[in-house]
Amino acid sequence: MSGADGKAGRGRATALASYLLVQSLAALYFVADAIADLEGEPLGPHTVMEFLVALTLVAGIVFAARQLGRTLERLRRQGVALEAARGDFARLVEGQFESWGLTPAERDVGFFALKGLDVAEIATLRGAAQGTVRAQLARIYAKAGVSGRAQFAAWFVEDLLDGGAGRAPD
Amino acid sequence: MPGPAFRTAGPGETGGAIAPPDPWDPVVRLTHWSVALAVVVNHFVTRPGSAAHVWIGWGLMALLLLRLVWGFVGPHEARFSAFPPDPRATMSHLADLVRGRLRDYPSHNPAGAAMVYALWITLAAIVGSGLVMTGGRSPIAIAEEKAAVAAGDWSVLVDNAAEEGERDRTDARIAGELHDVAANLILVLALLHVAGVVIESRALGRNLVRPMIRGRSR
Repeated sequence: MSGADGKAGRGRATALASYLLVQSLAALYFVADAIADLEGEPLGPHTVMEFLVALTLVAGIVFAARQLGRTLERLRRQGVALEAARGDFARLVEGQFESWGLTPAERDVGFFALKGLDVAEIATLRGAAQGTVRAQLARIYAKAGVSGRAQFAAWFVEDLLDGGAGRAPD
Repeated sequence: MPGPAFRTAGPGETGGAIAPPDPWDPVVRLTHWSVALAVVVNHFVTRPGSAAHVWIGWGLMALLLLRLVWGFVGPHEARFSAFPPDPRATMSHLADLVRGRLRDYPSHNPAGAAMVYALWITLAAIVGSGLVMTGGRSPIAIAEEKAAVAAGDWSVLVDNAAEEGERDRTDARIAGELHDVAANLILVLALLHVAGVVIESRALGRNLVRPMIRGRSR
């Protein structure tokens, strides 16, 4: 997933949460101090100011908490959307492979090729000879009617750029 | 042969949609473990009535208040609306547990929710009774008083005694009883809570503690 992004976001959220925790402690102490002052002496400018400070602190905490809550909610929604988009894209690719009439072995090789693996890597992953993989790739390109790997990948990227990952292949 | 290079999201993989969040949000995690630590330290380490004990009690109060705010403004699964207290649902969930047919809930399961509220009410009772016992004096005021007494100035104690009426002293005694009872109750509840987590984890075949610490390792 957007790996680094999500992780950084979560790290920031944790830091913010720790900050909130310390802030609450400070605010609680200030509020209590203001109340104690009010008991000790009549309402003077000093006490009024203290109350204002305490109130501002508490309001700040509530706002910060609300902001953090929204950020976390957005992070989660992004994760879900990404997961869904990925699922959609995989389904699109599967559907297209099917309509091209690729064999199961060719489908696997096709997926690896789309992920950017080269012939040697695919051969190692599949435990096959490089010649076999090259032959399979050639058959895939032939069935798809594309000239090579670049056009093969572009076939799917075009769909994404059109904004319709779920568009039915024609 | 390796599996397909692409795969669609399987059930439960999105997390949070049906199952509880993995991990829980940082505020829930931080307050959870801080409260646990505060309870353990104040029960077993600090001397009752000491400045440290009162400091930690105040910290506990801040944690509770923060979690209260978070219950209204936090992400969906941390809000009270996601796990309302519901005795009937709690009973039916426990019956499901006995029958071994558990289902997933987006937040705390109904039995867990009941435990959460029980813990919070008990903690609030502990904090409230503690405040009555100390006359609402802040830990700094208490530390200053103790320092004055240690230096030989007993007048602060006399001042305090003069301020306290008969009723105040009765209040403090009742609060003291409540404080003791609630402090023992919270330990019992905490043990039940841990037992519940272990039992549910086994029944679900999923570690429920990890999301409260770090979340999935990828």
